[in-house]
Amino acid sequence: MTRIGAGALVALAAAFVIVPLLAILLRLPPGALADGLSEPAAVDALLLSLRTTTIALAIMLAVGTPVAFVLARRPFPGARIVSTILELPVVLPPAVAGVALLYAFGRFGTVGGVLRAAGVEIAFTTAAVVLAQLFVAAPLYLRQAQAAFAAIDPRLEDAARSCGAGPTRLFLRVAVPVAAGGLVAGAALAWARALGEFGATLLFAGSLQGVTQTAPLAIYALLDGSTESALGLSVVLVTISFAVLIGVRLSSRRWSTPW
Amino acid sequence: MACCALVVAACGDDQAATSTERPTGGVTVFAASSLEAAFRTIGDAFEAANPGSTVTFQFAGSDRLATQIREGAPADVYAAASEKYPIELAGEGLVGEPLGFASNTLTLAIPTANPGGIVDASSIAAPGTKVVLGAEGVPIGDATRKVLGLLGEVYGNQFTGKVVSNVVSEEQDVKGIVAKLETGEADAGFIYVTDVAASSGLTAITLPEGAMLTVSYPIAVVRASRNADVAARFVEFVRGVDGQAALAAVGFGPITP
Repeated sequence: MTRIGAGALVALAAAFVIVPLLAILLRLPPGALADGLSEPAAVDALLLSLRTTTIALAIMLAVGTPVAFVLARRPFPGARIVSTILELPVVLPPAVAGVALLYAFGRFGTVGGVLRAAGVEIAFTTAAVVLAQLFVAAPLYLRQAQAAFAAIDPRLEDAARSCGAGPTRLFLRVAVPVAAGGLVAGAALAWARALGEFGATLLFAGSLQGVTQTAPLAIYALLDGSTESALGLSVVLVTISFAVLIGVRLSSRRWSTPW
Repeated sequence: MACCALVVAACGDDQAATSTERPTGGVTVFAASSLEAAFRTIGDAFEAANPGSTVTFQFAGSDRLATQIREGAPADVYAAASEKYPIELAGEGLVGEPLGFASNTLTLAIPTANPGGIVDASSIAAPGTKVVLGAEGVPIGDATRKVLGLLGEVYGNQFTGKVVSNVVSEEQDVKGIVAKLETGEADAGFIYVTDVAASSGLTAITLPEGAMLTVSYPIAVVRASRNADVAARFVEFVRGVDGQAALAAVGFGPITP
């Protein structure tokens, strides 16, 4: 391949991503960004997105980190199968994820029926939003975290153990700090995925301002009528996503230097 | 060159005028979601009656289709579930004169299993009832708000406020409302009578006399159509005997004046 040809291909690939994103900005009349974002529906959506993704991230870190460690460092029969199943939501169409969650946690669902008997209904609540985000985003974190834990030098673990570190101490004081770079990168990507969650949320949680209407759902709803608000929210999401990517790049460079 | 074009144009007009030489070609019809069943039947019948013509459909919310036409989507015909958008588009010179072709009536719909214990339309104001509505700004949502206003006159002025506090989701189109009802997650929602007829697990709850709302469905040829002759013929077909029969079969009402 000639250098010019290769250069043209790279430019084409870059333009394919940049042009649609710029198109949003070009459609936005000057000053409209602030106007659009000051609309209550947009403000509520951003706050709700922030709240729900933070909760989803906290659950992901608390449960996902030890799970990833066990799967990567303490293989048991069937660990690979479990690991593959946990990755499934990444390749699942979001609409399928929504239907699956509904059939599991809906009020006539497998688990939802039991919960309903106990007086708890999840569908149409903010908890449903968090569940949908967790379902689609957690696998991204699990995958990165497993890779990060798998890369730990076994001698480090042996050394820690010979110094008398128990399993919990080994995990918290050795494994997590050593794998921190991968864990942070995985958490950032998963958080960004949770922030963008749309299909599963729409089906499972519905769309109600302040309760279940997250930023992506608000963009969908506001396109009918309040286009400026929809575009304003889009710009915010694009900016956040870009910041996350840059952050991941920078942190992985910092963390990957050997100490 | 100009002379040539004139001859071709004249020839084209001729073809449209005589019934033996019918215009042929493909047309793309943008139609409201609620028209899907009827229009699929009409499309097949149209293709059978006009050999060489093909009809492709895109079904979505009327408002979304209008946006797509504004953005230059390759539509030849626009059939909407509301007069608002065709009139807007006609005003902008994007579609020809909208012509009524059917009417539809709003109804309250519930899952047949009736998880919310709905007895009549007044039940949706009972605390804890899960109600799904169309969002404001989409045809089903705007029509529903009119009906809620009418119901408020029937059941008293607190009714509407109580219903609004029972709303668990505001959907962008009829399909979203139907999905929430068919899965049994919501107790009640407002959709068109044709949507209830088309679904398997839903039951219609008749609204009180004073709260009946009938909406007119208009159809128009898109100005930018490359196949305006066939598009016009399709519009004619929908408004004709065969089209009206297919629409009536799925529960649509007659053309309203």
